[in-house]
Amino acid sequence: MAAGSNEPKSRYLQYLEIVTGSLEDKKRYRQYKARIKRLPANYRTAVEALERYLMHFGPADGAGAMAMYEDLADLFEQSAADGTPIRDVFGEDPVEFVEAFMANYPAGQYRARERNRFTSAVARAAGEDAGEDTAGEDRTVR
Amino acid sequence: MGKQATEMLKGTLEGIVLAILSDRPAYGYEITAWLREQGFSDIAEGTVYALLVRVEQRGLVDVEKVPSEKGPPRKVYSLNARGREYLEEFWRTWSFLAERLEQLREGGK
Repeated sequence: MAAGSNEPKSRYLQYLEIVTGSLEDKKRYRQYKARIKRLPANYRTAVEALERYLMHFGPADGAGAMAMYEDLADLFEQSAADGTPIRDVFGEDPVEFVEAFMANYPAGQYRARERNRFTSAVARAAGEDAGEDTAGEDRTVR
Repeated sequence: MGKQATEMLKGTLEGIVLAILSDRPAYGYEITAWLREQGFSDIAEGTVYALLVRVEQRGLVDVEKVPSEKGPPRKVYSLNARGREYLEEFWRTWSFLAERLEQLREGGK
């Protein structure tokens, strides 16, 4: 699960988190938001635009997404401290940067599922289905 | 830097960064600054950072956090044994590619 404590969770907490999502992740996300708030205004504006993009296309869930946000905060705190201009951080094509960055983290459930489904559909069409069952989990999702 | 150069750089940037790190440890900002000095003017700091996160995740570099006068501690990256192996493979691939392309150019004359 999330970085931080390795203690087993109480049954109560396990049930609670089914309803609320991981509390540890929520805490990490709040900490990330606080770090972003402390950035100079123009960095903050750029990061918030980046967040919007990530909400649509990035990993949406769990510890993977939290690691991504924390790495982002590291980058922008460092850039702000160095006085690196916004354009130099993002480059001429900000989409290229954000896509390269996002590729480092596990795709969100929705994207991962669709990628697996697509990959196994092509494998089946190519007649490579026999024996291997890497796509097994996928066929159960209908 | 033209569009063609940018496109070609994309496929080789990882090898370039590892080659820089094989010379000496460095942090992200130093690597970007060096690339710009060498004429790769369009390179984005963020792109280099994304690449460093990737090579760290894949265990090709070791990372040490060094306190900094301004701002948060800096992550200093150095090439480890696995990274060295990977870099050797990169140079072999590069030689193959460069050789074949040169042949193609000679043939076209």
